[in-house]
Amino acid sequence: MKAPFSVYLSGIRSGAEELVRLLRKKYEYVSVLATDSCGFAVRISQRARSVSSETMTTERGLVVRVCRDGQYSEVSINHFDASCPEHAAAEVEAEIEKQRALLSSLGVGAYHTPVLPDDPLTLFVEKDCEVLPEETDMKTLVESLTALSDRAMTLSSELLDCMVSAQSTHICKLFLTENRNLAQSYVYSEGTVIALASRDGRTQTGYEGLSGLGGSELLTGLGEKMEKSVSTALELLDAEHIEPGEYEIITSPEVSGVIAHEAFGHGVEMDMFVKNRAMGKDYIGKRVGSDLVTMHEGALCAEDVTSYAFDDEGTLAGDVIEIENGILKTGICDALSAMRLGVAPTGNGKRENFEHKVYTRMTNTIFDSGTDSLEDMIASIHHGYLLEGVESGMEDPKHWGIQCIIKLGREIVDGRLTGRVVAPIILTGYVPDLLGSISMRSPERKVFGTGGCGKGYKEWVKVSDGGPYLKTKARLG
Amino acid sequence: MLDTVISLLRSADVYAWEVSDVFTEAWEFYMIRHALDQNRVRHVEHLTAKVFRLSEDGETMGFASCEIPPTASREEAKVLIDSLSYRASLIKNKPYTLCKSKKADGGSHLPIDPEEISRMFLTTMRGIPETPGEDVNSYEIFVASKKRRFLNSEGVDVEEIYPDSMIEVVVNARAPGHEIELYRNFKSGTCDAESLRRDVLRAMQTGRDRLKTVDTPALGKADVIFSTVDACEIYSYFAARLDTAMIYRKMSTWELGKSVCPVFYGDAPSLSAVRELPNSSANRLYDAEGAPIRDLPLLENGIARNYHGSRMFSAYLGLEDSFIPSNYVVEGGIRGESELRQDPYLEVVEFSDFQVDVVTGDLFGEIRLAYWHDGEKTVAVSGGSVSGSMLDLAENMALSSETVQYNNWRIPSVTLLKGVTVTGIV
Repeated sequence: MKAPFSVYLSGIRSGAEELVRLLRKKYEYVSVLATDSCGFAVRISQRARSVSSETMTTERGLVVRVCRDGQYSEVSINHFDASCPEHAAAEVEAEIEKQRALLSSLGVGAYHTPVLPDDPLTLFVEKDCEVLPEETDMKTLVESLTALSDRAMTLSSELLDCMVSAQSTHICKLFLTENRNLAQSYVYSEGTVIALASRDGRTQTGYEGLSGLGGSELLTGLGEKMEKSVSTALELLDAEHIEPGEYEIITSPEVSGVIAHEAFGHGVEMDMFVKNRAMGKDYIGKRVGSDLVTMHEGALCAEDVTSYAFDDEGTLAGDVIEIENGILKTGICDALSAMRLGVAPTGNGKRENFEHKVYTRMTNTIFDSGTDSLEDMIASIHHGYLLEGVESGMEDPKHWGIQCIIKLGREIVDGRLTGRVVAPIILTGYVPDLLGSISMRSPERKVFGTGGCGKGYKEWVKVSDGGPYLKTKARLG
Repeated sequence: MLDTVISLLRSADVYAWEVSDVFTEAWEFYMIRHALDQNRVRHVEHLTAKVFRLSEDGETMGFASCEIPPTASREEAKVLIDSLSYRASLIKNKPYTLCKSKKADGGSHLPIDPEEISRMFLTTMRGIPETPGEDVNSYEIFVASKKRRFLNSEGVDVEEIYPDSMIEVVVNARAPGHEIELYRNFKSGTCDAESLRRDVLRAMQTGRDRLKTVDTPALGKADVIFSTVDACEIYSYFAARLDTAMIYRKMSTWELGKSVCPVFYGDAPSLSAVRELPNSSANRLYDAEGAPIRDLPLLENGIARNYHGSRMFSAYLGLEDSFIPSNYVVEGGIRGESELRQDPYLEVVEFSDFQVDVVTGDLFGEIRLAYWHDGEKTVAVSGGSVSGSMLDLAENMALSSETVQYNNWRIPSVTLLKGVTVTGIV
């Protein structure tokens, strides 16, 4: 079935169109993004359970963007009365002019930006989905997650708990300008299993997740994740500390994904180019990785949690090859930054929600796969580690440093896994060194979308990332 | 909308309910250098309802929550609340009672003017002295006035208005052929111009030093000094392990009246929740569930004195007057900063992202700028990482007698951890 477009947004559509017309009399550019996204989040553990209708991306509201004299301003509201757009138009204008008066009194000038193009376009997209969040059988879902948590607890007496969560969100967005009328509706879902094991006062966690474009039908896959989560938590109880140093490593697809995201995801967000905050600006056309490094970014690259049809500025979704055979080709860009840089936007203008500003943000960031088998990769290593599981990552686009907190490493000596596990691991390094050392890549490729991504320490959005197994070198601590 | 929702909740098939209604009036300014990238206004209301259902035998209780849009009709709101009631019936937790009506001591509703606070931020930032070698790259100003009303079926009906500000600042420092940047994120109630100016200038100094770094040596185990906001992460570990949710879920085994570490060879920390800190963005009279916030010792000389946390887990532990703290104070130790800086140590002043895992106790962070004091000279270093576990490091920690405030935390200005693993470059 198709995920049906929001009844609420359909109801306010003509009022919002009138709001654009009214404001257009005062401003050179006007857009309205209206959102109505609903969903659910169920969390089950042995000791606490809850159900909520809120996920990271549920929202209902409206943001108006206007431009006059090269200055862009926005007003976010969630009390829009479609029967009286005149009232909203007056409120938007009054608020913006009050701020302009303050700026003028302080002598603050605008970073002058041309008026955004407004080529005519009409689009109505309803993506496929089997079970909508609003129609999910919650009783069955709660019972199945409870049974999953209960079953996990039978696997080991060292388990403290097994926390299972399931979320599904039905995204609906309407984007309007004088000449653009775009509407989209799609559903994404995600679930996690976190096992907690404890011994002698020390606690460890195992984490497994799934995500995808689609409804709660995807959540049935959580059952397969539970045993791996439990075994990881138990393995970590026996883990040793790693001897710090530089090693040959193999990154699992999940770890490859976080490297893609941190290394040349953030590093080529082109709003950072405008501020001269990213070194990637000076490396377009230059080598930043080995010949085996090809990396894609875009909402069209994969079907996961952020695979939309158009972004929050009404730019159609794309598939950008950022790095091709080790050469940095281009970055990703929101519409305003594209105007400032004189390039085309790539469909990466995203907001945390209607209350937040647009920034250039990632969608699906993925390394291309290769032909080397995992077995051959392991066999090629004299002393190193197979890295699995991701806790977090942090980028440094200005200096190309990278930090990834990895769940565990499996020791490899003389081409064989020894069975020794080390944890936790902090992987650090210089991005071109890390990517430049990639010497093997596997054929299989996986995408992961259970996490969120911030810009600095705020502006949280859904992203996915992934890739194949990669062999490279890195500093581990 | 609030009256409609309350009337629907009172007539719904529910055991208990809570409603939170928050109005936000916010001004935002995004700057590239000192030119305006964009100005924004937010006028929004977020009304969240939570309903509780008791099973027929009274053995279990469930809850479900949702946001009810201010544009929802009475019919839409009723559908949402009926759905909540059904969903709550599917959840089986141990029953507990909601917060009872209890007035917080003190407090007043001071007028908050986002325009005036914004003016102060803009004026302060435009007055930062810059040179060809150090300047402000960009900044983002967020100023909000929030009005929150909270009600529940036990008679709680409280309202408070508070300011909530944040400024994100990026500074650059440069030498010929080399430019670095530093990111700072300052939260506060309103604009504290003097502190903001001091902190931005300090970031510029840090930037100057970072231009002159050499690779961090592979020190193996070393004494590490934390003298920035990152030290709050270390103390958050102690606060989190006294949270009733962690205790009830057995993720923390800390018992009241007992030391949280087998032995403290260094300074045993004392940690308190406090209702107010000067210009904290977290100064509140009531917590998210309507419980009055008060000053409360949590840890005294390393001995757990009180747990804190949400109503559900506190009630499960038999605590009737607990609350979710918003500000914390860690008392200073016996020795001054200078005494803690005597033996060779690495002082890390800039991490990529310093984290302490409150469940495992593991800590880690990549070093962007540190000062290695080898006992004779001081060298600015960069690269590599620190790692370790608070389970092992707590017993030897040392706290300076001087303290410093970072928004909702007042902590010792210097925290020394001995025997931290330092992965260097050379």
